[in-house]
Amino acid sequence: MTARMLPHERIDEFVARLMQSAEVVAPRRVEVADVFYGPVSSPGEVAWDYGTAIEPLKRFLLPQRETMLRFSTDGGLKVEAECDERERVFLGVRCCDVTGLGVMDAMYGGDIPDPYYMSRRERSTVIALTCLEAPEETCFCVCCDAGPFLTEGYDQQWTSLPEGMLVEIGSERGEALARANEDLLAPAELDQIAARYRLAREAEKTFGDFKSYIAGAMAKLSMNEVDPEVWEQAAMRCTECGGCTYLCPTCSCFTVTDRMNGSEGVRERHWDACLNNCYAREASGHNPRPERSDRLRARFFHKISHQWAERNGRQACVGCGRCVVGCMAWAHMPAVTEGIRRGVMT
Amino acid sequence: MSNPYLPKIASIQKVKPETYDTTTFTLQLDDPTERKAFQYRPGQFVELSVFGAGEAPFCISSSGHGRDTFDLSVRKVGRVTDALHEMGEGGQVGVRGPLGNSFPFEEVEGKHILFVGGGIGLFPLRPQIQDVYRERDRFASITVLYGARTAEDLVYRDELEEWQQQEGMTCLLTVDVGAEGWTGNVGVVGTLLQKVEIDVPNAVAFVCGPPIMIRFVVQDLSGMGFGEEAIVTTLERHMRCGIGKCNHCMIGDKWVCKDGPVFTYRQMKAMTEFEE
Amino acid sequence: MAEIATVCPYCGCGCGLYLHVRDGVVVGASPSRSHPVAEGRLCLKGWHAHEVVDNPGRLTRPLVRRGAELVEATWEEARSAVVAGLGKTLETDGPQAIGVLGSARCTNEDNYALVRFARGTLQTPNIDCSLRIQCVPDAPQPGEAWRAGVSTGQIAELDDADLVLLVGSDPTEEHPAVGARIYQGRQRGLRVVALSTRKHPLARLADLHLPVRPGGELRLIASLLHVVLAEQGMAGEGRPGAEDLRASVADMSPEVTAADTGVSADLVRQAAGLYLSSERAVIVYSAGLALSPQSGAAVQALHSLAVLGSGGSRRQVPVLSLLCRNNLQGCRDMGVAPDVLPGYASLGDDAAVQRFEQAWQCELARGVGLSAWEMPGQVRAMYVMGDDITRSIPDPEATLSALEALDFLVVQDIFMSPAASVAHVVLPAASFAEQDGTWTNLERRVQRTRRAVSPPGEAREDWRIIADVSRAMGKPFPYEGPQQIFEEISDLLPIYAGVFYPPLAVNGGIRWATPEARDAGGQAEVMPVPPPAEALEAAASGLRASDQYPLLLAADPTLRPWDGEVMVSQTLTVAGEFTVLTKDYPDGMLCLNPEDAKRFQVRGGRPVRVVSPKGECQMQVRVTDEAPPGVALVPHHQATRLGIMEISTDQAGGRPVLAPTPISVGPAE
Repeated sequence: MTARMLPHERIDEFVARLMQSAEVVAPRRVEVADVFYGPVSSPGEVAWDYGTAIEPLKRFLLPQRETMLRFSTDGGLKVEAECDERERVFLGVRCCDVTGLGVMDAMYGGDIPDPYYMSRRERSTVIALTCLEAPEETCFCVCCDAGPFLTEGYDQQWTSLPEGMLVEIGSERGEALARANEDLLAPAELDQIAARYRLAREAEKTFGDFKSYIAGAMAKLSMNEVDPEVWEQAAMRCTECGGCTYLCPTCSCFTVTDRMNGSEGVRERHWDACLNNCYAREASGHNPRPERSDRLRARFFHKISHQWAERNGRQACVGCGRCVVGCMAWAHMPAVTEGIRRGVMT
Repeated sequence: MSNPYLPKIASIQKVKPETYDTTTFTLQLDDPTERKAFQYRPGQFVELSVFGAGEAPFCISSSGHGRDTFDLSVRKVGRVTDALHEMGEGGQVGVRGPLGNSFPFEEVEGKHILFVGGGIGLFPLRPQIQDVYRERDRFASITVLYGARTAEDLVYRDELEEWQQQEGMTCLLTVDVGAEGWTGNVGVVGTLLQKVEIDVPNAVAFVCGPPIMIRFVVQDLSGMGFGEEAIVTTLERHMRCGIGKCNHCMIGDKWVCKDGPVFTYRQMKAMTEFEE
Repeated sequence: MAEIATVCPYCGCGCGLYLHVRDGVVVGASPSRSHPVAEGRLCLKGWHAHEVVDNPGRLTRPLVRRGAELVEATWEEARSAVVAGLGKTLETDGPQAIGVLGSARCTNEDNYALVRFARGTLQTPNIDCSLRIQCVPDAPQPGEAWRAGVSTGQIAELDDADLVLLVGSDPTEEHPAVGARIYQGRQRGLRVVALSTRKHPLARLADLHLPVRPGGELRLIASLLHVVLAEQGMAGEGRPGAEDLRASVADMSPEVTAADTGVSADLVRQAAGLYLSSERAVIVYSAGLALSPQSGAAVQALHSLAVLGSGGSRRQVPVLSLLCRNNLQGCRDMGVAPDVLPGYASLGDDAAVQRFEQAWQCELARGVGLSAWEMPGQVRAMYVMGDDITRSIPDPEATLSALEALDFLVVQDIFMSPAASVAHVVLPAASFAEQDGTWTNLERRVQRTRRAVSPPGEAREDWRIIADVSRAMGKPFPYEGPQQIFEEISDLLPIYAGVFYPPLAVNGGIRWATPEARDAGGQAEVMPVPPPAEALEAAASGLRASDQYPLLLAADPTLRPWDGEVMVSQTLTVAGEFTVLTKDYPDGMLCLNPEDAKRFQVRGGRPVRVVSPKGECQMQVRVTDEAPPGVALVPHHQATRLGIMEISTDQAGGRPVLAPTPISVGPAE
């Protein structure tokens, strides 16, 4: 599989072709300044010059609210499962978000695959867009091995060079897509590939203050050596808004609920947050994690302990910085990992 | 791709009240093929749907031996259990499972088997007691110690009587709070441990009950010399999906639904969140 | 999938949020990064705002009472029933016998139309919103176009503040967007002085916490004023009213007030010192200041403190009045009050009255009407639009019986509220996601809410329902949509002049200002109001603990303020989080300091018997050092139904207040 060049003037044509057979989900501006990944209706809508999207791709693979089953209780119980078989191309996706998909795949795949997530995932093509400089001051993918350039996890990875997009191929699917559009592509020259590596090194230097001491925190968490006081202090800062979990590319907890309308009903699942008081509460009223500090500890253990990193193939923080943006207080990943390292929260 | 969230439809065959707030429902899958395929082992659980009210996990409380139905003993505590108690014989529900791991059986062959149950903690133990008793020749001895808050809270009363009279099995009962008409032992279930002779090095204990009871019984057993591997329990958590996706039942690095619900004391101790 | 930019329907912060719509269904919500309040954050309620929308509990058909039952009806039938019911009361008892309640949940346009309906169509001056009972008091402000209780500053001013004086407020629970700013600020050195009975998380992290005894707030603020004016000599700067102010607090030295406030003179001086030396202070207060009958005066005193200024340049300190509901500000602005016209125009102002009479082409009911808490017992018929009256008024049971005893009650709402359940006619309204309009947040930011989907079933926008009823009563409104209503608002309300409808959709809208402030090109001049001597006096003689009743119980509006709220409790995921209170403390969450729990031998989670001079009840105990020793706290909305608290009247504004009440605590029977 070799790299190709997609000249800038042919990008729109390439995107238009993608749109013919799939829903193309790309960064696009909403209401002037905000950027979401969303379905584009024309190639011109893609915001190639964006920082990061407000949310990761999660909403398209694990919707905030989705119907799992439909049932009717009239004249004998009938139950049917929902299925989303739309083909999608995720285009222009930041490397951190692509890495996040890998963690989600581990969680939702495995020996008992989740059919809702996996049917969407298997029908997705992922085209990553590298970051030539830190897109936001809150970005810290460099601490998490999740950017600004990737070496795996994508179908194609695009890097903007003066002559056009350098298209790296990361999978059979990415190669097939290139082959089908070979008329728009040219083989990449060696110096273009060299430029990509130079740009990657330069990009890494532009990342700023929000360092996350993942490795140190990971060691302490995994060995159960975090001073309990740190969790108490974090709990005083956390307001249980759930924002860090909802915005996180790898947070995947959900809750399930039935909704009835007469004799017809649906079973839905909704995003849930492990920080919520009622998350682990049992019907009897017993709550195994009654204190916020218990819940914070459980969350960070799941995110970055060795134990879970082993199960998921890597630790679950990708350094996208969204929890820094979305935290209602000061209990996001960099704040807590620094707290763990220093033994005290600022 | 098969859908592990799609329940199979089952009908309620029998409804038997156990206590003022618990009931045993006997269920059978409607589809004969599914019924045949539904093979389960003691300790496993199902996710039960009462459509409209929702879904909740229940341990299977009967032995699967020689029958194509299964029992769920249920305490009325929330939306799903309330709705289930409203349903009568013939009512249709959804069932996913059997889910989770199961109690060791072959692994404990030849040992002295001790069951310690508290309150509705007898529900998950019952199939194991039945299976062990059925093949009692394969075990050195069988002892069942069971306690509840009051005599009113004792479940499976007919069976308890049988167990007390059966050959090859010792069954002792206790209540925390005595009352008129109760002539048996009064005190927490741990007090029964002193009343039985156990060959500790060759014994294994299956312990189920409320968290506080488990904590004290495990302490007692450890004090008696039970090894960490020789104490087995099932954990109750808020298991939503039953297949290790929703994460509600996570403790440390384990999902209770998928890695459990049966754990040895050693495994529990290794969980970072486990409080002794 | 489309993202519709709108505003969060919960607290007064007014965070910008996006509703995600797919196939005509709202399937999610997320924050706006570019919005000046949200800045990419939402609290749990905002993140789940979409769950309100197609909730199975929504009202979707008009309902009309047939005997004991509410049965589905057509809009025509329901409207006829409303016209007949109101008409009968008008005929037999006159317009004064009708009461109308507006809503801090509804849009400016809905509320404006309702005021026109009340004062114009029905000719009744009885119009109000019950939420102001439990929220920041809106004390009249002499010589001002608005009232104390209105923010003079904006939330973003916290971003470069060096000190925040947090009075009675727990923004982590009540106003997370403000709390977020304070947490962020701490990272760059923002100092926090918290003045509150409860030791909430930010009070715990504060540089200084003044743990004021419930009811002592006014005298504590007065002693701050005393230090600032009398000891630091700041009065000689020719501020109008400053001399009166100085005189009024001459006797309020911290040494004098310490006995009533429970705060040492030293702490008060330290706080005053920090305040005076800060160059960019911000004062923040909330309903937490509404704990006593003197809270109206306390709000005025706090605004006066702000006017005196701080720092080397004695810059006027911006004040944020944290209103508890998305559009409480707008609801007030629109004149949903018994004693004022839209835009705070005085009922005695002939020119203003004429303006409205000309625009509405009818005479106005010019009298001062009954307030929300007076209405249920004194009128014969009521029209309630989205107002949670049984949650706001102390003694909800009595309120509900009074509503039940009315000759005629109309409730229009999105859910079957307690009031709706006893109504004669229930009208299904559109939710925030189903209609266009404007809301005004706590910093006077007028923002567009957007229609993302159609209302369920036959539900309709509130303003449209009112316009239809008015037409049927022979007084048609000429409005075709919210934009037209807003244009009229903008024409007739000087404070909304220059605020135009279309641009409001973008980036957080526009903040309104009084014409004077607009002319001055900046912050409004606010006159200092000396705390009335009688209020200072009364604050000192408030109810105290005694040997028989050794604890002082306070109803805390900042404690779990959203538990059980109508929209929250219908929201699938959030309901779990916000019904913890109802599940674990069904009779009332009595927060006791560990010291007191030990002293009275009660244990967490257990029921206890609580006795006051007024009565007794049962509650469940939560042991927490959030409650100071000697003080018991209970969430305000639970306190209203305990029946053991003294109900007194706020001296400024007259609203009923659950006054701090001495109690004893013992084992439950």
